[in-house]
This record gives sequence, structure tokens and C-alpha cells, in this order.
Amino acid sequence: MGLLLELAAGGLIAGGIYAVVAMGLNLQYGLMRIMNISHGEFLMLGAYLTWFAHTTFQVNPLLFLPAAAGLLFLLGLAVYGLCFRRIVRTAPSLEVIEARSLLVGFGLMFLVQNAVYLAWGADLQGYSFLTQPVEIAGARFGANRLLVFGFAVGASLALLALLRWTLVGKAVRAMMQSPTGAQLVGIDTGVLHPVVFGAGLALAGVAGALLSMVYVISPSMGEPYTVTALIVITLGGLGSAAGCLVGGLLLGLVEAFGMHYANPSFKMLLSYGVLIAVLIARPQGLFKR
Amino acid sequence: MPEAVLRAEWVSVSFGGLRAVDGVALEVGPRELVGVIGPNGAGKTTFFHTLSGVLAPTAGRIWVAGADLTGRPAHVFAMHGVARTFQTPRVFRGMSAEDNVRFGLAFAGRRRRHPHDAFDDARSILGFLGLRSEAAVAAGALPPARQRLLEIGMALGARPQVLLLDEVAAGLTESEVQATAKLIARVRSELGLAVIWIEHAVRALLDCVERVVVLHQGRKIADGVPRAVARDPAVVEAYLGIEGEHT
Repeated sequence: MGLLLELAAGGLIAGGIYAVVAMGLNLQYGLMRIMNISHGEFLMLGAYLTWFAHTTFQVNPLLFLPAAAGLLFLLGLAVYGLCFRRIVRTAPSLEVIEARSLLVGFGLMFLVQNAVYLAWGADLQGYSFLTQPVEIAGARFGANRLLVFGFAVGASLALLALLRWTLVGKAVRAMMQSPTGAQLVGIDTGVLHPVVFGAGLALAGVAGALLSMVYVISPSMGEPYTVTALIVITLGGLGSAAGCLVGGLLLGLVEAFGMHYANPSFKMLLSYGVLIAVLIARPQGLFKR
Repeated sequence: MPEAVLRAEWVSVSFGGLRAVDGVALEVGPRELVGVIGPNGAGKTTFFHTLSGVLAPTAGRIWVAGADLTGRPAHVFAMHGVARTFQTPRVFRGMSAEDNVRFGLAFAGRRRRHPHDAFDDARSILGFLGLRSEAAVAAGALPPARQRLLEIGMALGARPQVLLLDEVAAGLTESEVQATAKLIARVRSELGLAVIWIEHAVRALLDCVERVVVLHQGRKIADGVPRAVARDPAVVEAYLGIEGEHT
């Protein structure tokens, strides 16, 4: 019983982070068809910024969470303005946006990764934060892990609420459902696109900051998260934020149990297995009708 | 003559070597109801795209209520009081009909007040269109004809001065076409809007409008009262003659 609980908890914690990363990528892809393959690098950047603030200036990582979100948001505005604005404006069709943004994303991936190598080196980094165990129902969890899970789910739910009930959130969903229609009722893509792109990177930053509290970090940690985010988006359905949350948690659980009962080296195999199964059985995503 | 709500000056659109619209001029005054007809490929929809900012003209200028909006994006046209519909409705499928209409009120129509009560809230707009009972239904779940009505509601939500309708009667039954024509007349007479109506089904349109513009191969070949235009030899040859062969 204790073991099952611990496995489930481990899966949900990883899954919570998957959900936040995937939501960020889903916003970018779902709204603008920007296939930001460098998304995971910005997660890595968020993790490094948090680690740096904590080890150099003794800033509490939890307090740094909003700062990480804010910094990555601003960076997102800059990246959008410098790289993606032109692509979105000049592309004759959505497919062309996908193809071109994929190439730009590749470039960004190398740029961000090597900037971090340059600044902080290639060594694994980490810090310990709230590692004392907490006992719940006979199972022991690190306090930091519980916190990370709480914040990941909290951030996901906050985004869902924002999309569902605020005017800006509704405008974002409207633009996902009909880009031309949105313009004709007066929604300004020139404002909404950079803001949503920035929000996507902010989510990556939050996920990275949370990750740094429980795992060691390295400049090459980002790319697997991009792949995982793509799998989660496929699971949950393109453009569906709620699907991301459920899909992320589900994938985390599958990985945790699969790795325990099979072999830890099967992790990517399991993720890809899930992806292929979904693509064959329900290509529109598990939760889309 | 009062200031035109919409004025197109020698608008041209080229796609590569193809001239889809070739130097078309059009001026529409307040509360005017103008029909635009032409055979397939005449450039009607492309011309509409330029009037609503969806497509920037390669040459020429577009004025909306005295402001030069040439080359500005579609949402700026919406802000200045140009609303339109599409041949295939661009509704927000996952949201309720009422929410669909609310967007215009909250964005494009935000800064404009309109003298008519129907523009105050989404429910009265839905009521005007006879969609009140479907206010809570997801737009994607409405039958196609109702979606088309809802798209007119979204356009009205923007509190426009001029409404552009792109083949709203296409694919409708004869009685539905009559109802649509009646609705368009009411939009003009009760809400006080100028309306420009593109249609392929010529007869329903000619019965309804007081002025008709004919496009053929990107050029304007006639502009006048329906009765005179229908007898214009160039029009008969380009368009009505062809249709006559079918009926």
C-alpha cells in the first residue's frame, strides 16, 4: 500500500510538471501554430535562474517563482518580437508558420543551451530545499515534492480559470477556434499573440523553477521535456488546456508505474508507446469529442 | 450627400500575375442597401476581403467613415464600424451563442455607442435574429443556417455602421432565402445600418436591394437600380445570360 502510494505520488509530481510545460507549449502551438521546439530550453533557463538566485543571493525558490514567471514572460515578448512576429505576419498559411517556426525553434534551442553552458558550465547543479520527509498514510514524501505538486496543479488550474472566465482568456480561446472571426469582432492579434507567447514561456519558467527544487539540473535537461510536452499535447488534444492537465498527470503515472514494474531505462519507451497508442486509437486526443 | 460610411477608391488585388480585383470603386452612404453580384470568380469575395481589412489591396484606398484604413488589419476595420460575415461561418464553435455575440460588444463595439437598443446586450441581438432560445447552445452544435444567423449576430455585436454579408443565402431553401431577405431589410430599416450584400442567387437579391453593383472578371461593369442593371447588355452577357441558360 505504501509503495503504491509512493509510486503514484512520484508519478503525479512528475506529471504535474509535465502538465505545466505542455500547457505552455499548447498555448503557443494552439493559438499561433508556432511549433516552439526550444520550449524545454526555457524550462531549463527557469531552473537555472532559480538555482542561481538561491545559491548566490539566498532567495527562497518559492518566492522566486513569480520572478521566474515574470522574467520568462518578458523574454517571451522579446523572442516573439525578434523571431516569430515576422513569421506569423508573412507566412501565407498556417502550415508555413509551423514549418518556419520549427526551424527558428531549432536555432533558439542551440542559442539558449549554449548561453547557459557559457554562463554556468556543463556540470550538474542543484540545491537542497525542504527535503525533510512528511509522512502521509504510511508513505513518506519529501516536503519539497509535495509543494512542487501543489504548485504545478495550482498553476494549471489558475490558467484554466483564466482561459474560462476572464475576457482575455475567452479572447484567447476565441482566437484558437476561429482566428479570422476573432479579428472581425475586434480582437487585436498584434497584442494577443506576443502576450500569449510570453505566457507560454512563463509557464515553462515556472515548471523549471519547480523542477530545480527536486531534481538536479543541467543545460541539456530541457529537450526531453519538449518531447514530453508534445506527447502530453497529443494525449490531451490540441488546444485543450484541461486535456494537458489530465494528460500530463496520466503520463506521469504511466511512467512511474511502468519504470517500477519494468525497468527505469524504459522511461522514453513508455512515453513513446503511449504516444503511438494514442495516435492509432484516438488521434484527436483522449478528451476531444 | 452625407459622408459615405464606406468608400473604395480604385481598389485592385493581384495574386501573382492574376488580377482578381481590377480598379473597383464603390461608395456606400448611410442606410444604403447595396447588392453585389457577379459570376463565379468575378472577384466579389476578394473585393469584400479588402473592404473588411482581411486582405490589403495591392492598389487603391479604403475609407471608413472618413478615415483612411488602407492596409490596416481587420480588427481596426471592426473598431471603425465595419462588420461582416463569411460564406462559411467563422463562429467560435466551442462557446455558447450568447458568448459569441458578446465578443463584438466587448471588443470592436466597446468604444462606440449606438442609438439602437438592440446593440445594448447579447440577448437583445439574439432576440432580434430570433435566436434567443438558443442563447446557451454551443455555436458548433447549431445547424448551418442558424450558425449563419449567429454570425450576423456576432457582426451586429460590434455595433457596426455598415454590415457586409457574403452569400448569406447560399444553400438555403426558397423560404429560408425569403426570411433572410426580410431580415436584411430589417437590419437596414430598424437598426439603421448600411448593408452590402454579395449573392450568387441573383433573383432574391434583385428583389430586395435598391442598388446593385455587378462585378465581372475583377471589374465593375454596372452600378445602378436593379431594373436598369438587369437590362444592361454587358450584364446580360456576362452574367444573367449564363444564368438564363440554366433556368
